[in-house]
Amino acid sequence: MQNYDVIVIGAGNGGLAAAATLAEKGKKVILFERHNIPGGCGTSFCRGRFEFEVALHQLSSMGTPEKPGPLREQFRRYGIEEQIEWVEIKELFRVNFPDGTGISLPADRKECEAHLCKEFPQEKDAILRYFETVYSFCAESAAFAEKSAQSTDEPGAVKKTIMKLGFPKLYPTLAKYALKSTQEVLDEFFKAPKLQLALSAYWCFMGMPPSRFPWSILAKCTNIYMEDKPFYLKGTSMVMNQAIMEAVGRMGGVVRLNCGVERIIIENGKAVGIIDENGEEYRAKKIVSNISPLATYGALLDEKDIPESAREYLKPYTVGISAITCFIGLDCTPEEIGFTTSFTLNYESLNANEDFKDAYKLLPENDPLVATCYTVDDPSISPAGTSIITAGTLQYGEEWEKLTPEQYYEKKYEAGRRIVERLEKMYPGFSEHIEEMEIATPLTHMRYLGHPGGAIYGYEQDVMSSVFFFPAESMIPNLEFASGWVNACGFGPNYMFADKVATSLASEV
Amino acid sequence: MAKTIKDTLIGTLVYGKEVLEDIRITRKVSPDKMSLGKEPGTRIAQLHAKELSLVVSAIFDTGKNAKTLRLSSKTGYLPPFEAGQYINIFTEIEGVRTSRPYSISSSPRQRAYYDITVARTEGGFVSDYLLDKVKVGDEFSANGPAGVFRFQPVFHKKHSVFLAGGSGITPFMSMLREILEAHLDRQVTMLYGCRSVKAALFHEELSAYAKEFPNFSYHLVVSDEGDSWTGEKGFIDGKLISKLVSDINEATYYICGPQVMNDFCKKELEAMGIPEKRIRREMFGARRDIEQEDGWPKELSGQEVFKLTVGDKVIEAKANESILTSLERSGVRVNVCCRSGECSLCRVKLISGRVFLSKGIMLRMADEKFGYIHSCKAYPISDIEIGL
Repeated sequence: MQNYDVIVIGAGNGGLAAAATLAEKGKKVILFERHNIPGGCGTSFCRGRFEFEVALHQLSSMGTPEKPGPLREQFRRYGIEEQIEWVEIKELFRVNFPDGTGISLPADRKECEAHLCKEFPQEKDAILRYFETVYSFCAESAAFAEKSAQSTDEPGAVKKTIMKLGFPKLYPTLAKYALKSTQEVLDEFFKAPKLQLALSAYWCFMGMPPSRFPWSILAKCTNIYMEDKPFYLKGTSMVMNQAIMEAVGRMGGVVRLNCGVERIIIENGKAVGIIDENGEEYRAKKIVSNISPLATYGALLDEKDIPESAREYLKPYTVGISAITCFIGLDCTPEEIGFTTSFTLNYESLNANEDFKDAYKLLPENDPLVATCYTVDDPSISPAGTSIITAGTLQYGEEWEKLTPEQYYEKKYEAGRRIVERLEKMYPGFSEHIEEMEIATPLTHMRYLGHPGGAIYGYEQDVMSSVFFFPAESMIPNLEFASGWVNACGFGPNYMFADKVATSLASEV
Repeated sequence: MAKTIKDTLIGTLVYGKEVLEDIRITRKVSPDKMSLGKEPGTRIAQLHAKELSLVVSAIFDTGKNAKTLRLSSKTGYLPPFEAGQYINIFTEIEGVRTSRPYSISSSPRQRAYYDITVARTEGGFVSDYLLDKVKVGDEFSANGPAGVFRFQPVFHKKHSVFLAGGSGITPFMSMLREILEAHLDRQVTMLYGCRSVKAALFHEELSAYAKEFPNFSYHLVVSDEGDSWTGEKGFIDGKLISKLVSDINEATYYICGPQVMNDFCKKELEAMGIPEKRIRREMFGARRDIEQEDGWPKELSGQEVFKLTVGDKVIEAKANESILTSLERSGVRVNVCCRSGECSLCRVKLISGRVFLSKGIMLRMADEKFGYIHSCKAYPISDIEIGL
């Protein structure tokens, strides 16, 4: 038996950051990962001449070296900022419409405003008011977060009443928009559907259609990406996660690859340690789970140890969406095929909410298609004269789970064929250039992530389940959660959330 | 109960009270979902079992120096696979636990069993064992099916040209059986290179298929000058391929065979102007004469023995044996699957020392940056230390 201050389960983005922060603070930490490589979603794989990025599109919160964002500062603390070649992305995204037109958004507020005002002159005032609202909202929510961080105790009745009356006056934009859906806010400001679609594209990063996507998340995405700029890096997200893993070791932490956790040991209702897949026992003062709460309680605890309160607590949360993704290596440059912006969202109609309904079907139909050409931002990602494109649709896992094993491969290729047909329509000649292609279905995501439903963003993040209502609390003493299942999902948010969790744990052990 | 400050403040937001009420009701009507936590494990086991428990249910002679082992599942269930994929079979021979990947040679349209066909390789540690010792009823564990040497219907051409060498015929048998027996709308031209007619596996079966099915043409290519074979002689080269394949630009080429043959065919296809996207290659395991490979340090004969440090263990490692093999000899358990440099399961960190990396290893950029290697195709050329 070995003793540690903290045991971390799962070397995904959150687990790596939690372990790194704890090691940095001098804590004795061990991180377990069942796969042979670290990274979770943040990984890559090789086929032929290509290495494919699996999950990262745009890293948020980096900022520039001169004006670092919070994530860059975190990476500085780990000593990895300089190890990585960061690639700044100049455009947020391009939204393509069924009539062949499209709108690209520059990653700069003023340029973006100017560009949209030129495209939609009749909505000029609304565009300017909208950006003002986005920025006020983010400023107010940052101010409120800072204020509430100062007081952790539950205030008395009198103070509560004062706060209740004062809140809407102090934070008017927050009070008005914090619980609204993206669609409602866009309808309030804009008439042109294309303009609405151009401003709401980040819904696909969270997997909720505009009608259900909390506008507050959209506002924050827009604000953060414009201010801190979207970044990519050389060598795929695997480089970043390997760098964090190396940092854990350098700072005195231990990482066990190829070694899953079989069970969490509970004594007197408290988490006290784990048994690994080889039957070895490890004890620690705290345990951080970076896997889903469902798998933490449901698969790592004896049935009798699962607290009733945990079942109750997690009831309102629904397992979120998965995806069908084609990883494609082309034997031509992006220019030859007509790709100009790395990250594109492609619509079959001007009604995203209607098209999103196809996400519940087995195969892609009119689903919005997300296509990213990594070569646009970093031509060195694949050999000269080639390019890498990942393209796919968000799709729920349910219909895939109904397939018999015999049906699986046929359906998987059919899904891939449909996505390639969509690309062929937009970029004639596309299919003839395919040199490598791998298809990931919801079951593929389930296989590699171990997530129920093959969920790629954790729980559904609608207004009721995110922002103020993430299921971050643990119902077992000494057990904490760090993953995207219990907080805004995404690379930047996960690294930073886990850092926060670990920092608070470090003061306790 | 008094409201928390959080709920109190949320109550002041537009829609705040409604959202809190929605959550309360949802909580009331939603079922307990905790059992979902276990589901991925059971569901994925049907498609990608972590470990297969296999039993030899029959053994057939396949030519003079090869046997087909018919493997059934002890649990009664075998996952589906794509024709061309392999399973990695674990054995314990003379106290050494090791494994070898074998392509499945039976059709994926039935899964009562997987057939693997084992040909004798000179001095083959595992092949000798499988050919001489294994009997019906013996049990093995395996992982897989895995591998990407298969027909990809989205972008591969409907005309497949199979270039096989020696025991490299096995994945093609699976592909061919599926195409012919299931009457798939595809065309196959097979060029099978062997030393002699006698050495050719499945020759009779292939000849019979060619007679029966108009969408399959079969050409045995014999290299021994003295052989009485009256068909194609020599090696599979560009000239022969151009002669036997109707429209060379409208086909996808698949190569499986010994490293030398594999590399040679690739070059010939390239010389014919066949682009990379039309050439698919199955990687073979570590070659036995690694010291013959380009780039091998001239000052080393391959017989040198170096110190290999792993954790608190120091073991001996021969220069011409892969690090994986040396680890297995000393009883160190390493995760493993393809043993051909591709799958990365046997990845280890090179902490110090120098290694020779054989051709065909697919390292990620992160591996090169942080010093990770695939131990199945990495050879020590100095004392080394690795981390698991």
